[in-house]
Amino acid sequence: MSGSPVLVAESLVKRYPVFRGFRELILRPFDRRRVTALDGLDLEVGRGRVFCLLGPNGAGKTTLIKILATLVLPDNGRASVAGHDVAREPGPAKNAVGYAVSDERSFYWRLTGRQNLEFFGTLYGLVGPARSRRVDELLRLAGLEGSADLRFNGYSTGMRQMLAFARALLADAAILLVDEPTRSLDPQAADRIRSFLRGELAGRQGKTILWATHDLGEAADCADDIAVISRGRIRLCGPAASLAAGGRTSLRQVYEQAVSESEEKP
Amino acid sequence: MSGTARTGASGAAVIAAFLRRDFREALTYKFSFISSVTGILLSSATFYFVAKLVPPGTPSLGPFGGDYFSFAVVGVAFAGLLGMFQEGLAAVVRSAQLSGTLEALLVTPVPVPVILFGSSLYSLLFQLVRTALHLGVALAFFGLALGRINAPGVLAVGVLTVVCFLSVGVLSASFILVYKTGNPFSWIMGTVSGLLGGVVFPVALLPPWIRWISSLLPVTYALDGMRKSLLASATFADVLPDVAALAAFAALLLPASLVAFRLAVRKAKKDGTLAHY
Repeated sequence: MSGSPVLVAESLVKRYPVFRGFRELILRPFDRRRVTALDGLDLEVGRGRVFCLLGPNGAGKTTLIKILATLVLPDNGRASVAGHDVAREPGPAKNAVGYAVSDERSFYWRLTGRQNLEFFGTLYGLVGPARSRRVDELLRLAGLEGSADLRFNGYSTGMRQMLAFARALLADAAILLVDEPTRSLDPQAADRIRSFLRGELAGRQGKTILWATHDLGEAADCADDIAVISRGRIRLCGPAASLAAGGRTSLRQVYEQAVSESEEKP
Repeated sequence: MSGTARTGASGAAVIAAFLRRDFREALTYKFSFISSVTGILLSSATFYFVAKLVPPGTPSLGPFGGDYFSFAVVGVAFAGLLGMFQEGLAAVVRSAQLSGTLEALLVTPVPVPVILFGSSLYSLLFQLVRTALHLGVALAFFGLALGRINAPGVLAVGVLTVVCFLSVGVLSASFILVYKTGNPFSWIMGTVSGLLGGVVFPVALLPPWIRWISSLLPVTYALDGMRKSLLASATFADVLPDVAALAAFAALLLPASLVAFRLAVRKAKKDGTLAHY
């Protein structure tokens, strides 16, 4: 990894309460069972790197991203963003990252793309002509200038994803958190998103990107660094150039080995 | 491009952004306002005819000017407003949980209380307009009998009532943040207040064994003070007991609601359920 770390997780632990029905609440009222999402996870992401986080479903990728985005509090350990502890200084930590909430329901469907960005722009501290300029700039960057004044409910899935990136970039934070950005996109739309993240945001703008994905090819093609997370811990971490040196096939081998070892030796 | 100058939107700009968002959304629902006004007209007409069954000078209406129509219209108009204050905040949290926008709002640097207040302000203002419209329609078309209005009384009762009911609203929102549905505050303050708070009939008509419950509800004092100030030409001294009771409720509810809200946000973040529904 090159560059000083701007995303740091140290011995991060997160356990969620297990949902219990009425029967269990009555029979075992003091039972406090928990499911472990992160189990002492350590991670460092260097400035300006594209860091892909690979892992099976339930491995802890989304929990890690939500902790870094200040939406979830860790139980133990610490996490920091650009030097700001996410639990102790959530305000500065929020200012330091853009979290691309990719759920399309996170927009106001009856407003236009521009109106959505103007609203969120104000929440990110932009007002007046500065906000208008920034919104125009981001709509252009996302290739949405022609559909800026259409209602969001008329956007395709790919356009919605691009608007989610535009929203995450409103504050122009140097760090971007993205969680499965190409999920449910067709191959061409997925390629456009990858080249936007890798080429424009990381390449041209120099942003640090923590990118959770299930797609090994995506990680092999786009990442500077790759980590495999399984059962709440990083099982393997290193430069993409060495982990995916033999292309997607070799990355699949190391990924499968890391995951299966974590299942044998939790 | 990194380093775009952020001008730092003031609290007012952020609140204005929420209002603009909700106004723009409301404009896309074209029949909402029309149905709202029609509802007000029908409600006023209903109480106008029901009032013909209640003879003028009924003793229990004496402290409120003696006219049942005016008594009921003021009760219904203000109960709607109070209902919005106590349920509006919880409703916006629930709506944002269900629509999926809550997470996107919570990752912005805007403090959670400002998000909550901003998100509910449009509904509160809209309900305020509805209340004024309700009274205006009753005055213009159905003969609402206003007395000599006691402005200081209206102001004191109004401000303390807003503090009380917003506090209940914050308690409701705290409950919704953690438990998502089944808000008990809404049931206690809404359903029970409707029956026991004197919205459409005077509390004096209730049997004594149940009347004491009314004395535990802020809505009883809010409506009592407001009716006396608007309809019965009461002086400030006349409404002082109501003002004192509301001040006591406010002193209790406001700090309790702020503590509850802080704990609720922390618990939801701990459980990882902040944006769940």
